[in-house]
Amino acid sequence: MNGSFSTRMLRTIAAWVVVAVFFFPIYYWTSVAFKHGNDIFNRPPKLIAFTPTFDNFQKVFGISLGSGGITVTPGGGNFYMAPRVWDSIVIATLSTVLAVAIATLAAYALSRMNFRGRHSFVGWVLSTRMMPPVAVAVPMFFIYKNFGLIDTYTGMVLIHALMNLPLAVLLMKSFFDDIPSEIDESAIVDGASRFMIFRRIVLPMAKGGIAATAVLCFIFSWTEFLFALTLTTTSVKTVPVVSSTFVTSIGTAWGNMAALGAASIIPAFIFILLVQKHLVRGLTMGSLKQ
Amino acid sequence: MATVEYRNIAKNFGHVEVMKDVSFGIADREFVVLLGPSGCGKTTLLRMTAGLESVTNGDLLIGDRRVNDVHPRDRDIAMVFQNYALYPTMKVFDNIGFSLEVAKVPKAEIRKKVEWAAEILNLTPYLGRYPKELSGGQRQRVAMGRAMVRNAAVFLFDEPLSNLDAKLRTHMRVEIRQLHNRLGTTTIYVTHDQIEAMTMADKIVLMHAGRIMQIGTPDEVYERPNSKYVADFIGSPSMNFIAGAVETAGGSPHFVAEGVSIGLSPEIKAKPGQKVIMGVRPHDLGISDAGEIKGEVVLSETTGADVQIHLRVAGYDAVAVVPRDERRNAGAAINLSVLPGKVHLFDAATELRVA
Repeated sequence: MNGSFSTRMLRTIAAWVVVAVFFFPIYYWTSVAFKHGNDIFNRPPKLIAFTPTFDNFQKVFGISLGSGGITVTPGGGNFYMAPRVWDSIVIATLSTVLAVAIATLAAYALSRMNFRGRHSFVGWVLSTRMMPPVAVAVPMFFIYKNFGLIDTYTGMVLIHALMNLPLAVLLMKSFFDDIPSEIDESAIVDGASRFMIFRRIVLPMAKGGIAATAVLCFIFSWTEFLFALTLTTTSVKTVPVVSSTFVTSIGTAWGNMAALGAASIIPAFIFILLVQKHLVRGLTMGSLKQ
Repeated sequence: MATVEYRNIAKNFGHVEVMKDVSFGIADREFVVLLGPSGCGKTTLLRMTAGLESVTNGDLLIGDRRVNDVHPRDRDIAMVFQNYALYPTMKVFDNIGFSLEVAKVPKAEIRKKVEWAAEILNLTPYLGRYPKELSGGQRQRVAMGRAMVRNAAVFLFDEPLSNLDAKLRTHMRVEIRQLHNRLGTTTIYVTHDQIEAMTMADKIVLMHAGRIMQIGTPDEVYERPNSKYVADFIGSPSMNFIAGAVETAGGSPHFVAEGVSIGLSPEIKAKPGQKVIMGVRPHDLGISDAGEIKGEVVLSETTGADVQIHLRVAGYDAVAVVPRDERRNAGAAINLSVLPGKVHLFDAATELRVA
């Protein structure tokens, strides 16, 4: 496995090259957020040697670095985006919780219980993702308008949870399928009810699966653009939607856009950090003879 | 403590009939082994007893109660699964005590019972560990502890030793049997391993293709198999068979095949001329110059105390087990005689026992 020194060296270098290739766009975008307008368009680009500025963040988040440390001045301007990041956090978190909660229950039923049409059910669930979302954007708009859901947290949470459900159900089902049914049966003989088995035995075992599903749901909601654009107007807007507003008739505010983009990595990053320790875990963890 | 009774049990999976008309009873405190090859229906029968499979037809009684439609938790049974099925997120203590916790038994009593079971099973030092931190044998014992604390009327074991290595299996076999002697709980034990069946059972129920082939004590099944199938399945190495016919020679019945003529007991039920299959266990063959069976040695295998001599007899392969000092080299001609009263005869058509 370890090989000679040169092999190990080569492997390490290759790994760092791959990391660099993936990390470079993030670095470049983040560096733009700290540049003055003139530096952004420099050719060749100034990757390191530029005078950093906090102006972009001040404009977008109302945060400034003065002599007294960091000061926050929430305040006006078309480019003030802090509330929009909050909108994104609320929508992504709640829609993830909703989707994962429903998907976990549905997937457990699909994995364990016998009912008519159980096998075609999976196909039906998946079929909802077979057409491009834009095909239902207009009907959705009218449905939302009639129900008064346009431009509300409820509306956005519902649509994102709805769009995440099919994949979340399938994903969770595959995790439940991996848990041997003997464990359920053993608990049935032990006298536990279905719900108790689910809560006390199966759910703790599926933690890794739930974490993985939650990460996917969160990232989807965090980056979703189409419905966030068509189903909102002014009071609720997510980061991807407001990012597009930096493109104006008098030019594109690249620095501000980069500041918002760079900052919006942080909440998603924190979320993934929180759940990642559950991600890679042995599923049955010694309950069975392997 | 309880009896178990199966009355005309049938089981279908969809349109496939896997079991038909199975009837037998299990006495209180009895250790019954359901034995058979994979797919014979033994596990299905056990799962029906547990309530994990429905009974298509017939009556299943535990004690005096018909339990066909009774929920598993109300059947007063405990089950040990082949792969142990421990709860991986619970420690050994909670694994063993889970059924009591579900039944809302007071904490102090749970502790008492779990400690009692752990003591018997030598698990006391491991109560605070997770299943993943235990060896195979320890996990197996935890699974048994789970069954023990329930004070169930019937224990069900589904091939509990098949995942253990050979040495541990022998050890656990003894432990399970000792446990049964100590607790006296009626036990149904499923296995495909005839040695487990022979060593552990009070009564063996040998199954094949969803039907019962024979029910009897290990001795009965070994000494008087009622069909060629049973004779072949029980015993290791398995029984030698030669097809031939019963003929009268010199006033007494003989089994006659090409190059073989063996005198039979005069009380034999087979009619002269009847086509039969003769069966002789490898251990019931002895080397003797006057032996009626002439063969040629193909291979000698030393297994320890014994030697297994593989031979060709009258166009058939056969095995004889003899003491190690009687080993023969390949190619040698050999004469064998059958120990008195150890010849089994089966009708050639029905394969049922004639003598």
